[in-house]
This record gives sequence, C-alpha cells and structure tokens, in this order.
Amino acid sequence: MNCEAIGELLPDYLQGRLNPELASEVEKHLAGCMDCGEEAALWKKLAVLPEEQPSPAMQSRFEAMLESYQEGRWEKSSLAAEKEKARTPMLWGLGNWKQLPVSGVVWACVFLVCGFLIGRQTDRGGSSDINEKFAALQAELAATRQTVALSMLQQQSASQRLEGVSWSRRLQQPDPQVLNALFHTLRFDSSVDVRLAALDALSRYSGQPEVRRELINALEGKQSPLVQIALIDLLVDMHDRSAVDQLKQFQKDPKVNPTVRKRVDWGIQQLN
Amino acid sequence: MSDEELMAQVRSGVGEMLGVLFERYHVPLFNFYLKLTGDRMTSEDLVQEVFFRILKYRHSYRVDTPFRAWMYQIARNARLDHLRKRRPETSWEPEMSPAIEPVDTAQQSQEAVLLRSALLQISEEKREVLVLSRFQDLKYEEIAQLLGCEVNTVKTRVHRALQELRQVLHQLERKPPSRKGPHGAWPSPGSVQ
Repeated sequence: MNCEAIGELLPDYLQGRLNPELASEVEKHLAGCMDCGEEAALWKKLAVLPEEQPSPAMQSRFEAMLESYQEGRWEKSSLAAEKEKARTPMLWGLGNWKQLPVSGVVWACVFLVCGFLIGRQTDRGGSSDINEKFAALQAELAATRQTVALSMLQQQSASQRLEGVSWSRRLQQPDPQVLNALFHTLRFDSSVDVRLAALDALSRYSGQPEVRRELINALEGKQSPLVQIALIDLLVDMHDRSAVDQLKQFQKDPKVNPTVRKRVDWGIQQLN
Repeated sequence: MSDEELMAQVRSGVGEMLGVLFERYHVPLFNFYLKLTGDRMTSEDLVQEVFFRILKYRHSYRVDTPFRAWMYQIARNARLDHLRKRRPETSWEPEMSPAIEPVDTAQQSQEAVLLRSALLQISEEKREVLVLSRFQDLKYEEIAQLLGCEVNTVKTRVHRALQELRQVLHQLERKPPSRKGPHGAWPSPGSVQ
C-alpha cells in the first residue's frame, strides 16, 4: 500500500476501528515509512498533554446560575410567592430585581421617557401640580435606571454587564444596592473589561467614606494586574493616606506581578 | 443514571440534575475549549455559557437522543458566537490575566509545551476535528454529524491535521519559541494565530 492509501485508513486505525487484517497492513507500512510513522506516533504523543483543571470559581458560577434558575421557576409555581409579588408593585420591587427581564425594563424606561416628553409637550400650560408630577416622574425614572443597572449587571454576556455598569453612571445618587452590585462586579466579574468599567464607575463615588474604604480593600492579589494598576492609580488620586497600609500589605504578596509591584512602590511614595 | 436520563429530567424541570451533568462534563468541555482557544478565562466563560444554554434550550433536547452530541453542538455554537463577537483588540488580554492556577513549568515536559503551541498554530478547522476525535473521544460519525459534513471529510481532515501538526512541530523544534504564554501555560491565541 502506498502513503495515500494508508492516509485514508490511518484515522480509523488510530481510533482502533480497523479489522485486524487491515490494521496489520497499516502497521507494516508505518514501520517502513518515516512520514506516516511519525504521524501515527504524533497521535499517541498527544497523550502527554495533561487534562487541565478549571479554577474553582467556575463551580460557584455554575451554582449561582442554577440557583437563580431555580429561584425563578420556584417563584412562578409558588402561590405564596405570587402573593408576595402582588403586594410590591413591579417598579419599586427592587428586592426582585434579579428576576426582572431586562428587555421589559428597558422598554418600560423608554415608554416612561416618551410619555413624559409627550406629556410635557401637550400639557405646557397645565395646573400647578405639574412640578409635583415632574418630581414624581424623576424619582420613578431614577428607580427604573437603578433597576436596569442592577439587572443588567447580572447578565450572562459581558457586553450586557458592561452596559449595566454604564447604566449605573446615569444615577445621580446610587443606593447601596447598586454600589454593592458594582463592588461585586469589580471583584468577581469574569471579564477584565467589565471589572475595569465597574472600577471607573465606582471612582465617581470615591468621595463617600464607605466607597473609599471598600475600594482600598478591593486591592488584592487575586485581581488581574490591569485592574490592580487602575486601582493603585485611583487610590493615589484619592490622596487617602489610610491606603498606604493596604498597599504595603499587598506588596508582600509573592504572586504580585513585577510591573504592578513597581506601581505599588510609586503609589506609596506619592501618598507619603 | 445515564446522561440522557439526566437530561430528560432537566428538560422536565428538575434543574438539580444539571449539577450531575456539570460534574461529568465541565472538565472535558473546559479542556476542549482550552485546546481550541489556548485561553483559560475564555474557556471558563464558554463552559458556563454551554450550561446556561443547556438550561435555556432544554426543551429543544429530544429525549432518547445522545446527550453528548447535543451538548457538543451547543458547545460549538457557543464558540462560534464567541468568535463572531470577539473584538480583535481583546486578544492580548490573556497575557495580562492572572494565572488562576499557576502551572509549574519545571513539571511540564518540554514536549507538552511544544505540542501545545503547535496545536494552536494549525488551522482552526483542522484543530477542531483533531481535538474532537483525539481528546473528546468522539467517533468520526459523530463529528461528521456535528459539523454537518461527510464522514470521509472528517477523516481527511484528521489526517491533514496530523500532517500539519507534524510540520509545525518540526519548525518549532528547529526554532524554540522565544515567548511563552502566562506562566508557561497556554500561549495566548493572539501571539500565535
């Protein structure tokens, strides 16, 4: 048999699916032909690639996903939960924000804004309570934005989570729930882009003491070097000397990337 | 319990059973993606996406049909969607990402390092077939069904993949790579593709 004929049989031979007769023919050729022999050897050689293990975070991500699925389903089937839901109007039921369908919320928001604009056009010379209505609408709009931000931060796709982060920027005064979600994103999001965006969004609120404290604590060895550097720069920009201790402690971590280590040195110098 | 029985349960709403399927398949799927992409973080994201889609599209699973074939179909689509969405500027990311489980290069044979980078240098199409047949234990018929092509095409592709891999390996052996991926683990796809 020539190489071409062997080439046709080789894949089946490699998966051990040739009859003994053909298999021995192939073997005879392999022993005599260097090129074909090497190809067959290569197939076996691929076994040296060890089975890699994913990070433990994958298990917890899966469990979180499964949990949210089960919670969602449970809610639909449980009468008690239905009643609970009925008591709190959708818009204000921020406790249930995980279950809100994003597109629904986005549409609600769009309609709300359209309604508001049309209302303003047609009702220019309206009654004196217009200001009151306006304030109520503004509050409602803020709550909707908040809900959109929160639910988008929970999405599977990184781009939608990025959008969630940008929604959070439209809030004048984010409440603790949004801040918590942003910090959770900063620490645990699987995408570096999303984590960086969350950090950027949080930096706007670094005037608040709690945010400041959390930001200092967020500097840890597990983070990506990119986020670490952005965080160090932010800590320096905050001119908060209480960050020096955390920086020094972080520097002791042997796993810290050399470039990041240099940045920490620089950061400590700036703050002192 | 067989995969198919478990999936039938998931389909009928018993979500916990997906946990068993996750236990069985998350490592093989992770390795499948790692060999295709060379990037740990992307691979983990894609595995998560596969299980998310299994739940989302559970009703499209036809009871008593092979679960593995269906799962790899989802896995492949998830990867294709990911490739479509991928922005070119993010390809440098793995270099800067932390190695979540640092791999000790001393423990890894030079051979494995070479094979890995060679595998990432052969064409995407051939690599996929080689990985599916060699590491995911799929039969050529199953792969043909998955890719929607003839069984003979799959076999030819396996053969060509080995030929190409051999050539790349020879090149690499002559000129040792000057740059390795994060901690000597998987080289970043951007650096070799």
